[in-house]
Parts: sequence; C-alpha cells; structure tokens
Amino acid sequence: MSTTAAAPAPGASREDLAALEERWGERPSLRSWFGTVDHKRIGRRYLVTAGFFFILAGLSALAMRTQLARPESRLLSPQEYNQLFTMHGTAMIFLFATPMLFGFGNFLVPLMIGSRDMAFPKLNALGYWVFLFAGLFMWASLPFGAAPNGGWFAYVPLTERTNTPGLHMDVYSLGLLFLGIATTAGSINFIVTALKLRAPGMSLNRVPLFVWAIVATAFMVIFALPALNLDNAMLFLDRRFGTHFFDPGAAGNVLLWQHLFWIFGHPDVYIIVMPALGIVSAVLPAFTRRGVVGYPLIVFAIVAISIISFGVWVHHMFATGLPRLSYSFFSAASTIITIPSGIQIFAWLATMALGRVVLKVPMLFLIGFVVTFVLGGFTGTMFALTAFDQQVTDSYFVVAHFHYVLIGGAVFPMLAGIYYWLPKITGRMYHEGLGRWAFWLVFAGMHVTFFPMHLYGLFGMPRRVYTYRSEPGWDGWNLVSTAGSYLLAIGLLLVLIGVLHAIRRGRPAPPDPWGADSLEWSTDSPPKPYNFPVLPRVHSLHPTWDEASRESMGAGATRDRILADGRRTLLTSELDGSRERVVEMPEASLQPLVLALAMLVFFTAMLVAWYPVAAVAAVAVAATIAVWLWPPRRPERELGVQP
Amino acid sequence: MSVRAATGTEALTTELPVGRSTGWWGMVMFVVTEATLFACLLGSYFYLRFQYGGPWPPDGISKPKLLVPLVMTAVLLPSSLPVVWAERGIRQGQRWRLRAGLAATLVLGVTFLALQASEYAEKLREFTMTTDAYGSLFYLITGFHGLHVLVGLTMIGWLLAASLRGGSFGAHRHERVRNAAIYWHFVDLVWAAILFTVYLSPRL
Amino acid sequence: MSTHPGPRARLTGGLLFWYAVLGGAIAWAVHLLAVWGVDELTCAGGRERIGALPLRAVIGAAVVLPALATVGALLAAALVWRRTSHPPEGVDERPVGRGRMAAVVAIWSNLLFLTIIVLGGIALLVLPPCLR
Ligand code: HEM
Ligand SMILES: [Cu+2]
Repeated sequence: MSTTAAAPAPGASREDLAALEERWGERPSLRSWFGTVDHKRIGRRYLVTAGFFFILAGLSALAMRTQLARPESRLLSPQEYNQLFTMHGTAMIFLFATPMLFGFGNFLVPLMIGSRDMAFPKLNALGYWVFLFAGLFMWASLPFGAAPNGGWFAYVPLTERTNTPGLHMDVYSLGLLFLGIATTAGSINFIVTALKLRAPGMSLNRVPLFVWAIVATAFMVIFALPALNLDNAMLFLDRRFGTHFFDPGAAGNVLLWQHLFWIFGHPDVYIIVMPALGIVSAVLPAFTRRGVVGYPLIVFAIVAISIISFGVWVHHMFATGLPRLSYSFFSAASTIITIPSGIQIFAWLATMALGRVVLKVPMLFLIGFVVTFVLGGFTGTMFALTAFDQQVTDSYFVVAHFHYVLIGGAVFPMLAGIYYWLPKITGRMYHEGLGRWAFWLVFAGMHVTFFPMHLYGLFGMPRRVYTYRSEPGWDGWNLVSTAGSYLLAIGLLLVLIGVLHAIRRGRPAPPDPWGADSLEWSTDSPPKPYNFPVLPRVHSLHPTWDEASRESMGAGATRDRILADGRRTLLTSELDGSRERVVEMPEASLQPLVLALAMLVFFTAMLVAWYPVAAVAAVAVAATIAVWLWPPRRPERELGVQP
Repeated sequence: MSVRAATGTEALTTELPVGRSTGWWGMVMFVVTEATLFACLLGSYFYLRFQYGGPWPPDGISKPKLLVPLVMTAVLLPSSLPVVWAERGIRQGQRWRLRAGLAATLVLGVTFLALQASEYAEKLREFTMTTDAYGSLFYLITGFHGLHVLVGLTMIGWLLAASLRGGSFGAHRHERVRNAAIYWHFVDLVWAAILFTVYLSPRL
Repeated sequence: MSTHPGPRARLTGGLLFWYAVLGGAIAWAVHLLAVWGVDELTCAGGRERIGALPLRAVIGAAVVLPALATVGALLAAALVWRRTSHPPEGVDERPVGRGRMAAVVAIWSNLLFLTIIVLGGIALLVLPPCLR
C-alpha cells in the first residue's frame, strides 16, 4: 500500500478545489447524463456497452456450441446458424474488442499523461454515441431474422445480392460504415491527445507503454479502416444500386473485395491485440515491483508491428494465384513480424524473472495471457508452412488458432485490466477470492473449449457448418468443447458478479492500492471530474514512483498548473512535452447526441431505402456540425482585426 | 550552415514538429485517413483495369474526352490560391481579404461542380454506373470527389458567413480558417490524382 | 557549448532525425508496393519486360534502392545514438533523453526492415518473376 498521495494535494488551496469543482463538476440530471463530455464517464460507458455486446456475442457462441454438442442436432436451422456465427464474429471483432480497448484508452489516457480531458471532448462523446447506435443497429437485425449471414469477412460473390438476397449484408455494410465513424473519430482523438496534452516534462521517452500502444493502434486505424470502408461502400452499391465492382461478368473482380478486406483485416488483428498488450505492460510493473525491462525495445516492437502489419495481408489469400515472387516478399514480412512480438514476450518474462512477482488476480490473468497467446502464436507459425496451411484452411484448426490469439491476446489482458483498474474506476476494491475462482474457471474453460478444436480440425471438421455427421474423433471432442464453453461462461459470469460485488460491497480503494508507477495512481480513486487538482510536472518514466514528480503535485505546486479560473488544461509540445499554453475545454453539450441520432436516422433510412429521409438526415448532420463549430462572438480587440 | 552544426547534438535533437494546435493535428489526421481512402479507391481502379486485361474502357465505351476535365482542373487547382491569400490576410487582421478570398474560392468551386454536372449529363447518355465496372468506378471516383468538393464548399461558405457576421476571426483567432484551408488544399490535390487516373491514364 | 546551431542547421538536424527514425519503414513500404505492383501488373499483362528493361532488373532495382535507403537511415540512427550518449554541457536534458530513446528504436527498426527487404530480395535470385 502506498502512503503517499492520499491527502488532497496540499498544492491546491480550498478555494482552488472549490473553483475546479464548480467548473468541472456535473450535477446529476438527465441533461448532464446525455450531454456529458467527461472522458471518464465516456470511457466507462464504452466499457459497459462493449461488455454488453460481448455478452450478446457470447450467447450467440453458446447457442452454436449447444447446437454442435451432438452430431445431427436440429436445434438451429442452417439460416439461423449462419446469422449466429456471422454476428458472433462481427460483434466480437468490431463491437467488442476494439471498443472495449478504446474504453480503457478513453478512461486512462488523459489520466496517464496528466491531462484533464481528451483533446476533443465533444468528439469523444460523439464517438461513444455512434458506437452505441451502430452496435444496436446491427444487433437489432437479429430478431428480424435479417442479421448478416455471410461470415465476418463477407466474401463476395457469396454476399452479392443474387446469392444473398434480403437485408442481411446491407446491415453488415451499413453498420460497419456507421461504426467506422466512431472508430476514426476516437483514433484521431487519441493521437492528438497524446501528442498535445501530455503533462509538462513528459517527453516521448517518459510516455507510458499503454499510451504508446493506444497511439500506435490509432495510427493503424487511420490507415487501415479506409480500406474496409471503401470495401463496404462498394458492396452496398453493388447490392443496392447495381454497380459491378465485384462482378467478373462486367469487368469487375471478386478478388478486389478480398484484397481490400485484408489490407484492413490483418492490421485489425493487431488493432485488437496491440492495446491489450499495452495493458499487459501497464499492469506488470505493479505486480513485479519494477519497471518493464527494455522500455525502448518495447516501444520499438509496438512501432514496428504496427507498420509491418500492413505488409502481410496477402497470406490470407495464398490460394488466389499471386505470382510466387510477389508472395515471397509478403512472406518475408509475415516471418519477420514475429520478431518484435517475441521481443515483447521476452521483455515481459524478463520483467517477471527480475522482479518480485505478486500473484494477485490481474497478475494471474497476465500469466494466463502469456501461456495462451504463445500457444496461439505457435499454431500461427504452423500456417507459414504452405502445405500445412492448405490442409487446415477453413477447418476448426483455424477457429482454434484465432480464438487462442484473440482470447489469449485480447480478452485475458482486458480481464487483467478490469481487475487492475476497477479500484480506480469505481473507487472500490474487488473480492480477491472471487476473482481467483473466476480466473481459474475462465482459464480452464478457454482451454477445454478451444484445445479440442485443433484436434477435430486436423481430423477434417470444417468450420461454419451448422451440424455434422458422426465421424470418428469428432463427436467426443465436440462435446468436450461444448462443456468447456459452459465452464467459460460461468467463469465470465463470476467476473461480472465480482465487478457488481465490488461496486456494491467492495471496500473503498485508496488512490494507489497497488503501489503502481503511472500517473493515474497519483490522484483520487475515482478521480475528481478535473482529474488532477494540480497538473503534474513529470520527471521520469515512473512518475508515481519518483519523488520529484509527486512533489510537483503537492508542495511544489505552481499556479500555472492549477488553472482553477476556468475549465482549462495545458498544451505541451509534441516530442518533448514543453509547456506551450493553456486551453479552454468545452462544456457538456447535447450536440454530440443529436448528431449521432441524425446519423442513425441516415443509416436506417439508407437500409430501408427511404432515400428522401436519408437526404433530410444528411442535411441535419451538416447543420448540427455547422452549429457545433460556429465561432463564438468575440470583441474586435480580442480578435485583432484591422479596420 | 555547416555539416558539423547540423549533425551536432543540439541540431539532431531539435524538436520538430512543434507548437501546432490540437485543431491542426485533428484536421491533418482526418486528411491523412481520407487520403488513404482515395488511395484505395484509385488503387482499386488500376487493380480492376489490369485484372480485366482487355481494352480499357471496356464494352466499347469511348476514352474520356479531355477538354472539360482540363477546364475543370484549370478552375479547381488555382482555387487554392485565394484561400492562401485570405488566410494570410486574416493573420494580419485584414478581414476584407478573408471575405474576398473566400468568396473567390466559392465561385471557383461552384463553377467546378457546374462543369462536372454538365460532364455527367453528357456521359450519362453513353454509360451509367450500372453499365459495367468501368462505369461504376468512373462515377464512384468522380462522384465521391465531387462530394468532397461540396463539403469543402460548405466549409468555405460557412467561414464566409461567420466572417460576415463579424466577431469571429482576427489576427489572434483564425484556426478554423486554417483548418478549412487544409481540407480545401487536400480536395484540390486529390483532383490532380483523379485527373491522372481517370482521364489521362486510359490514354497511356 | 559556445555556439548554438542556426535555424537552417536545426531544420536539417530535425529532418535527419526523422529520416533515421522512419527511413527504413518508408523505404520498405515503397519497396513492397513497387515490387508487388510491378510484378503483378506486368505478369497479368503476359509480359516479362517493361519497355526495354527486363522485369527482373526492375524488381531488382526496387529491392536494392530501398535497401540502400535503409542502410542510410541506419547510419543516421547510429549518428543520433552517438551524439546523445555524451551530450555536451548545457544542452537540455529532455530532448537528449528523447533523442536517445528514438535512436535505439530507430537502430532496431532499420535493422529489421533491412532484413525484410533483403530476405524478400533473395527470392528474386531463385524464382522466375512470373511463376504462379
Ligand atoms: C467467449 C467464448 C467464445 C466462444 C465459445 C466462441 C465460439 C466460437 C465458435 C464455435 C465459432 C465457430 C463458428 C463456426 O465456424 O461454425 C466462433 C467463430 C468466431 N469467433 Fe468465437 N467464441 C468465443 C469468443 C470469441 C472472441 C472473444 C472473439 C474475438 C474477439 C471471437 C471471434 C470469433 C470470430 C471472428 C469467429 C469467426 C466467425 C466467422 O466464421 O465468420 N470469438 N467462435
Ligand atoms: Cu493475417
């Protein structure tokens, strides 16, 4: 337990605190609930909403596993099964993994860099509402039997109108386009926040690894998402308006879809895993009592992976007849990208070996992560053998592999993060025993579910089949998988119970229950609306561990870092974090919600082909943005105009 | 300047970029992601064209005529100059320059869209978006760019309205002007790439 | 330090810094796009020449030139690294610390991208360009 930082910073006087509370505090009301721009509330909403979509996608998976428990089961029709696995995959990837990690980012990035909010708080609110509406838009199609059904990567020609009539794939393409707005806005916000709002003194070599990871992810989104957006726009145009982008009968080409999809899709694997790895680097110091070994090497790994991930997309299409030579250039990248990933793993292992490991629940999940992720990486390298790849493509082996990578690489770190930051987010401690039970159930459930999939995958069971004939080696292992998935579900339920229990019964958390190193732990749990009474001055990579940085928020506080006379925070320089100027931050506003609603109307109208309504909604979008950005009227002298 | 000075510790650790505002970074990042989108779009054009292999444009569609697009280029590319001039003006607090420059750009931009409409009117008689993939590409690329011009014009018109109201911009407040200008320059540059891809490259 | 570098020297130094950090990555990206685009498009057209040049030579150039650019970036990174190891008196500590970290990142990443480019290039020695 830490003894420091508990007293309300001696640096800020009582009047300052009152003034800050006045400027930043939000009185509970409906208006403030819908209009808030506080990154902590928005971050919490991201976490809860993404968790909700995780539950829906998880229930879809349970339905599938129940169906597959026995051969020739008739629980689900093929049509239902198709929609379920497509919605499961699509929601897990787009509505759960990335938004969940964005939720962590939203809550944590401003706290970790010592700022009072994100660079664009209103845009942040918009991002959340758009994400929520896009998610509901997609899930709402399921009860109507109109959910996407062409698999999460929606290959044409299967998904063209002639082969998949109905709204299914329109929901997919429009839903993902809609969601793309939120993801892009969020990414730009992260980048600008990390570039400009770091506390004074936080030069690039003092930026927490989690922030590096989020920024790298955001850059990947900026460059990868356009490919997916274009792909979906073309798919929608093909289906709805009769264009021929993917129609080989009219000079189009089906491979165009695949190329564009994987230009996005491969980086997307890292978009999902990267911030989760950032969580690992953030949690580890607290439970090994030392900084992560090789900070510059991990930064290197993060940067290198995010760049190289754009050069490997072709390995998803080895069967499509690329010249062998071209293919070998891409394989070189696919092979080498394992090096920076390996460096990260070894840096973490070294940190554990050299530090004093404290086996609390978050640390257990980290260990679970390492084990699972390494196994997933191992089966991944097996695909590099082309012959083997050909053998197992589209079998359950692949399903096993990517669940090891995604659950190991994203879900375990997220769970570690949930336990780790729960005291900060809710101000309450979780129940350690309950957490341990949850860990062991999740860990065992995960492996019991997915390990057998390697086996029946090798025995030839294809993926995406709604049922199967009894075959030697299939039946028994499928039943094991199903049992495992129920175990996993119970484990996850215990996590949820643990969180609820902490909120209702947990004992109050001190500011720094773990003795951790980054800035979020040097302010209250939960933080005040203004985050820091005194914005810190950072002197090292581990500010909460170093005396000088801590003192800058206490005895060493200066007026120019309290900024109580307004809703203000500090801008600093891009690379070295030198103080630049003070900026005014926006107040709560309903505009983000209105804008998101207008967009929802637009996309819904497009879906059901009410084009005049869509046109009106588009005008409403433009009008809202115009009002949003309309400059306030200022006196001429302040503006500086010549007569 | 000597090589020694430029490779010394101080020069090598010069902070660059530095001092930009959050709005500037936001707009630049937005433009970067949009540029990637256009790159994918034009990449798809070439991909479909070369995978098709046959004569391009296919189906006996004639090669695009150059007169109108060249006039459009002559209208759109210079339209960035008044924006630059206007922005320089407001930096010195000269509001009239801001207003005049924006108005000039507005006129040029609207002319561009009018020319594009006339070109469409002619083209649509020959082929449409549903004729074949070439038609789909042609109308998607030019239409999507036209939409960007429209958005850019909305920004310019909005700036003009705000500056006519007064109390909006001056030597100390011109961030919005610069951000809109960045977007407009981007829309301009993209047109050059489109001119090359859609109009010139089929003749190569 | 008695004399501080002028603005031109600072600009050059700052750009050199970014070349060191991103040079390899950009070279690799250009290399990959060039190699793939040229190979795919030329072979799809059923040819093995581009104008007067054999396809192999063009691809070879698209391997060697980026590799050289990466070597240059590596040297620049090494320079930044040396210049930040014993900073002269009176230089601000933060930019040096930041520069040093960036130099480590840059050295590793240039080495990595060089490896990728060279590994891919080796295939050029054994595979005919249009074999499918
Ligand atoms: C929570 C426990 C989970 C279970 C029991 C589960 C189960 C399954 C099953 C049985 C399939 C195969 C369907 C088929 O091919 O017929 C599947 C597919 C898939 N899962 Fe999961 N899954 C879980 C979690 C996740 C997570 C956390 C992610 C991603 C973050 C994920 C992403 C996917 C994807 C992308 C597919 C492919 C969908 C498609 O074929 O289009 N799953 N899952
Ligand atoms: Cu991949």
